[in-house]
Amino acid sequence: MSVEFSPGLILIAGAVLVPLFPGAWRSAYLLLLPVLSFAYLAVLPYGEYGQVLVFDYLLTTVRVDKLSFVFGVVFHLAVFLSVLYALHERDNVQHVAGLMYAGSAIGGVFAGDLITLFIYWELTAISSVFLIWARRTERAYRAGLRYVMIQVTSGLLLLAGVVLRVRETGDIAFDFLGLSDLATSLIFVAFGIKCAFPLLHNWLQDAYPEATVAGTVFLSAFTTKLAVYALARGFPGTDMLVWIGATMTAFPIFYAVIENDLRRVLAYSLNNQLGFMVVGIGIGTEMALNGTAAHAFTHIIYKALLFMSMGAVLYRTGTINGSDLGGLYKSMPYTTAFCIVGAASISAFPLFSGFVSKSLIMTAAADESYVLAWWVLLFASAGVFHHSGIKIPFFAFFARDSGIRCREAPGNMLLAMAAAAFLCVALGIYPEPLYRLLPFPVDYAPYTPTHVITQLQLLLFSALAFALLKRTGIYPPELRATNLDSDWVYRRLPLIVWSTVLLPVAHRIDRCQQWLLSRATSAAVTVPEIRGASLLALFVVLLLFSLLVTGFWQLARP
Amino acid sequence: MENEKKYWLDQPHNVDKIFWGLVGICALLAVFDVFYPKHVDFFWEDWIAFYGVYGFVSCVGLVLLAKQMRKLVKRDPDYYER
Amino acid sequence: MLALVLFVPLIGAALIALLHRRPAHRDLASVVTAVSLFGSVVGLVPRAGAWPSPNWVPLEIVPELQIAFGLEPLGLLFALVASGLWVVTSIYSIGYMRAHHEAHQTRFYICFALTLAAAMGIALAGNLLTLFIFYEAMTLATYPLVTHHGTDKAVRAGRLYLGYLFGTSVGLLLLAVIWTWTLAGTLDFRQGGILAGKADDATLVVLLALYAFGIGKAALMPFHRWLPAAMVAPTPVSALLHAVAVVKAGVFSVMKVALYVFGADLLRETGLSVWLMYAAGATIVIASLIALLQDDLKARLAYSTVSQLSYVVLGAALANGPGLVGGSMHILMHAVGKITLFFCAGAIAVATHKTKVSEMSGIGRRMPITMFAFLLASLSIIGLPPFGGAWSKWYLILGAIEAGQAPLVAVLLISSLLNMAYLLPVAVRAFFIEASEGARDPGIKEAPLVCVLPLCVTSAGTFLLFFFAGDVYAFLSQLAQP
Repeated sequence: MSVEFSPGLILIAGAVLVPLFPGAWRSAYLLLLPVLSFAYLAVLPYGEYGQVLVFDYLLTTVRVDKLSFVFGVVFHLAVFLSVLYALHERDNVQHVAGLMYAGSAIGGVFAGDLITLFIYWELTAISSVFLIWARRTERAYRAGLRYVMIQVTSGLLLLAGVVLRVRETGDIAFDFLGLSDLATSLIFVAFGIKCAFPLLHNWLQDAYPEATVAGTVFLSAFTTKLAVYALARGFPGTDMLVWIGATMTAFPIFYAVIENDLRRVLAYSLNNQLGFMVVGIGIGTEMALNGTAAHAFTHIIYKALLFMSMGAVLYRTGTINGSDLGGLYKSMPYTTAFCIVGAASISAFPLFSGFVSKSLIMTAAADESYVLAWWVLLFASAGVFHHSGIKIPFFAFFARDSGIRCREAPGNMLLAMAAAAFLCVALGIYPEPLYRLLPFPVDYAPYTPTHVITQLQLLLFSALAFALLKRTGIYPPELRATNLDSDWVYRRLPLIVWSTVLLPVAHRIDRCQQWLLSRATSAAVTVPEIRGASLLALFVVLLLFSLLVTGFWQLARP
Repeated sequence: MENEKKYWLDQPHNVDKIFWGLVGICALLAVFDVFYPKHVDFFWEDWIAFYGVYGFVSCVGLVLLAKQMRKLVKRDPDYYER
Repeated sequence: MLALVLFVPLIGAALIALLHRRPAHRDLASVVTAVSLFGSVVGLVPRAGAWPSPNWVPLEIVPELQIAFGLEPLGLLFALVASGLWVVTSIYSIGYMRAHHEAHQTRFYICFALTLAAAMGIALAGNLLTLFIFYEAMTLATYPLVTHHGTDKAVRAGRLYLGYLFGTSVGLLLLAVIWTWTLAGTLDFRQGGILAGKADDATLVVLLALYAFGIGKAALMPFHRWLPAAMVAPTPVSALLHAVAVVKAGVFSVMKVALYVFGADLLRETGLSVWLMYAAGATIVIASLIALLQDDLKARLAYSTVSQLSYVVLGAALANGPGLVGGSMHILMHAVGKITLFFCAGAIAVATHKTKVSEMSGIGRRMPITMFAFLLASLSIIGLPPFGGAWSKWYLILGAIEAGQAPLVAVLLISSLLNMAYLLPVAVRAFFIEASEGARDPGIKEAPLVCVLPLCVTSAGTFLLFFFAGDVYAFLSQLAQP
């Protein structure tokens, strides 16, 4: 039994005390927590700590090694930046939830066994949802409910997988798992939900844009990257991940092009960037895993920066629809500049951070001769520039002048954005510190003439395509609309089934039994506020049931 | 907005300047391909301006396809609230 | 010592009756009784190893047919849960009954004490006959509590209550007890059961069905209707009795019958309880679905209880190590969580006179402490870490996997999601959605302190139990030993 505890606990325990601090003291305290936690992590040598005997299981609550350390470092950066960005916020719910959420994600990264991982996994789900609910609108409430149901489903699948694994192997260690049996398949799907695999992805685009201004910045950093870490730990070299990842890079960008809510555009591009990391895990070589870790590192910072700039726009103008914005560079010049830095980084322009990390994955794909995947990734690289690199800054800050005149973002927001932008540029120019953090030795020079020239060609010709389409009027206009995605299956389909199948059936039966219909209809009509939840629950029930019954059939066989 | 400061970008001909500047840079980059030794993994990367053409075609294809996709997936903004 | 546990609540009841005219002393007597009962139960803990022989036989009717009491880990757990939570409930009741200006408070406290006496009798029963007698006594003692308000609705509910509970116990349970007597020649609870080798499998299946449905207090569907009906009672009754003492007496009896009448080995090896697993599984899902549709908060909680009780029945039916531990642990975990939820429902009713979930939007601003406690307890009932409910679910899933019953794993997971769907909206809408009618509330207005304090204690309990579950496990794992 050792006394060391997870660095995440400093944030979680510290969060509880936040409401006790008044005014400026609170700001200082909020900023101090991540610093403390990071300092603690920095002095903790690599190793396994915090071993606790729970029931018959020996938990390893803290494991610091190279892979967990790099994620731990960037998570600390992210929480510091997010806290700084949220400093002006008076609502304590957001501060407490944000810190707890970050703390649980950090705890998850340092979890040395599957039970500890499960505990932190569920904690991230329940703490993060308050960042959505804190928006205090009916829409956000419903989106949050959907979000937390799906997150908890992921946790429950993880639970089932872990219990099954414990039962079969007696082993709770969280090391390489490999896709070999039912237990690991369940764990794989659980990770996949949080990592927004295709068709399991839509919670992300559904919920993140509904969160508060600061909430989305927190959300963008942790949940999905915890899942990336978990996949990199448990399933490196799983071939299927290359194809899952390639699909993830490609399909969200189509949605991003036609989406109007600019924070939702960013959510789609977040999904696309996750695809690159997942491909890296699927390839599984040292270089590819380095690429995944490096890309997660840079991605967290530039994605936070982009969400910060769009959050600032939402905060000052009250809207984030591309169709209502435009010309804001006149009112918010600094935010514009920071947004462009973020856009350049996500597009992997030379001298910006995305360039030094994404190329590791591309090179690894070429080295291992994943030809098709390589073509898809290249397509996605051009596409990401198109919708994140150009579309976001263009429609918010340039385009047609919307006539909106507002104040520049608050000082703390600008400071957070400046810090993030500085990191983006610094890592882009001087990537060695990042490379030294990576799990395996790096023998790679990003700045070769070939690499720089080809990347510039790819990006600038994409820009040319955008300009040409825009000038010729072919580019689709920004429209206020809802675009159907896989969430239709649980948001609309049950309602259709209800009204076209179940209700008529109830009517039919009702000829002999009055009470059934009175119950069936009163359920939908008199309790409207739980309607959404119950329909979603019904859907998940059916889905899970079919999934699990078929899956577990193997168990019943001797 | 009468007395508001006029910005450089407000003038349409300045936007034109940017566009033609972009065209110029792209042309230069394409030509530059001839002049340096490329290190490539696949033979097609050696083709002149391969990356540029692929980026251009990708983006045009992306936008055209997305535009078609709109016909399929676009609904009213309050679609889910009804 | 055993006698002490049985007599303390009886003496308390007498004391309460004597202090009829002095409400302050009477209420104090109720609290003191609860505390001393809890103290004497705690005093039994070191002697838990005295099992298996019943060690106190006050009355022997004929040889092998006695009133007998004994002590074993499961009974001790139940006694600890019931008496421990009685302490907080007795404090809570004072605030609730006074704030609500309830009539007949003395009768109320007397019946409460009598019910607890019956619960102790059930917990310590050394054989089926003793269990049956106290089981019936408990029904009688709670009847005046259910019909406390004396309205038409209450009387009708009371009729339903008696009908279901007496109907099942006399019609089915008594039959099962007599049948067991003729088959085994004894009614003693024995480690490993008394029925092994005494009858063929078909008979045992029928017998098990008689027990499972005959113990109506376990609320296995379709004999669950009495529980939602009993919600007309004052909230402390719903909290302690219809979330803890009475219903847990039911599932505890099922557990005890499975362990000490049939024997875990017998159930596991013959597979005669497989149907019971699925009956419990169906109850878990169906009751949750009904709970989704309830707008009345207490009714929603009642159906939730129906659903959660079947977790324990499921654990008993699984009859393997993890299943038994999980089921027994759930007696404790669910009790602490659900009593908090009922305390909150009562506090809301006291402070705002609201009983419908749809009216509760925005009340988090007025009652932050209560609604926060509600949120924590909800998370525990759902079974999320870091709350106690997570561990009992863990063991039940492990048990279902060990039994090779895959669909039941799915049932347990689905149940968590359904619990979220009907519990989370209550607390979340209270905090994050404004009340629709623009009635600007004047700020924080909680229920009286004596109501708020107990619910803080129990909701903190759901959190602490996550960390102390290891001790509960060590205590309960004796059950799994063959």
